Amino acid sequence: MNLRKIILGGRRLLRASRLGQIALVMLFWLLGEAVSRWSGLPIPGGIFGMVMVLVLLASRRLSHASLRQGANWFIAEMLLFFVPAVLAVLDHREFLGLLGLKILSVILLGTVVVMSVTALVVDLGFRLAEAGDHAVE
Amino acid sequence: MLWSNPLFQGVFWSVLTVAFYQLGKRVHGRLGRWWSSPLVLTPLALIGLALGLHETYRDYIRETHWLVALLGPATVAFAVPIWEQRALIRRRWAILLMGVVAGSLSAMLSAWGFAVWLGLNESLTLSLLPRSISTPFAMTVSGEIGGVPDLTAVFVVITGVFGAALGEVILKILPLRSALARGALFGMGAHGAGVAKAHGLGREEGAVAGLVMVLVGLVNVLAAPLLARLL
Repeated sequence: MNLRKIILGGRRLLRASRLGQIALVMLFWLLGEAVSRWSGLPIPGGIFGMVMVLVLLASRRLSHASLRQGANWFIAEMLLFFVPAVLAVLDHREFLGLLGLKILSVILLGTVVVMSVTALVVDLGFRLAEAGDHAVE
Repeated sequence: MLWSNPLFQGVFWSVLTVAFYQLGKRVHGRLGRWWSSPLVLTPLALIGLALGLHETYRDYIRETHWLVALLGPATVAFAVPIWEQRALIRRRWAILLMGVVAGSLSAMLSAWGFAVWLGLNESLTLSLLPRSISTPFAMTVSGEIGGVPDLTAVFVVITGVFGAALGEVILKILPLRSALARGALFGMGAHGAGVAKAHGLGREEGAVAGLVMVLVGLVNVLAAPLLARLL
């Protein structure tokens, strides 16, 4: 009985505390890292952690409300986590000249192609599927 | 005195990175242009300062690596928007998978085509192929197909920075009707930076972008040994 009370109290506390939820997201990440290392697969721990959370949400063992605020915080501040990686260009002064301009062109032109192809394929597929659904109705 | 104190040095770049980022967010809130994004202005300011102080990347990243590591829990966090949009995703997963395959093929082919056209050497070309995949996956693929993983990591970051900005321009030109397509565009073309951008557009776009980014990584790591044999 007492244990049940503690669990329920913990849940209520978690729903109100963003910091607690951030810690919970971190916990799933650490578990994911452990699985990643243990399995030896070239898949980062974050993805194992994400799958764990999805499975727990689907099986109703974890409620969406006890994680939502923490997850939203990580997603909202995600750009910050990229910033230090951009400074890697400090180590590649050889790309400052013409070669760098060529590489940048490949990346820019390539990204335009990738984004356009992906978006058009998905949009076309979506329109066809919607049309199909309406035809059935 | 202060500068040579190891405790001060240990937190100096971390504090500065977070502070510049917060400042960058405010500036972006006022200006709202692609170049005012905290992903553009903040690194530029930090690079300027690092050059002025003769700081190397190795010293910088040793102190700030914990921030990059937080991309791990950020990936775990993708589970929440994906869960919220599960009805849409369950209905349209096949279309998303098609987009991921088409996007991955066009990423490799376009990098190959443009690199050959501009006369880049083979190791640079191979390192450019996986640039649209998120970092840990991209480095794995790069190593398997004969590229240089460290270079690929730099190209991935550049793709994210410019892709997030380019995506906005492409959205204005292409007549996209579905949130599914807008999300896939960012998740496929600009990985994590694109996911962050897509969340700014809407909950559906953000969820789709996060899912697509993860799928791109998984599909490409699975396909890499096959690709290595073809190259």
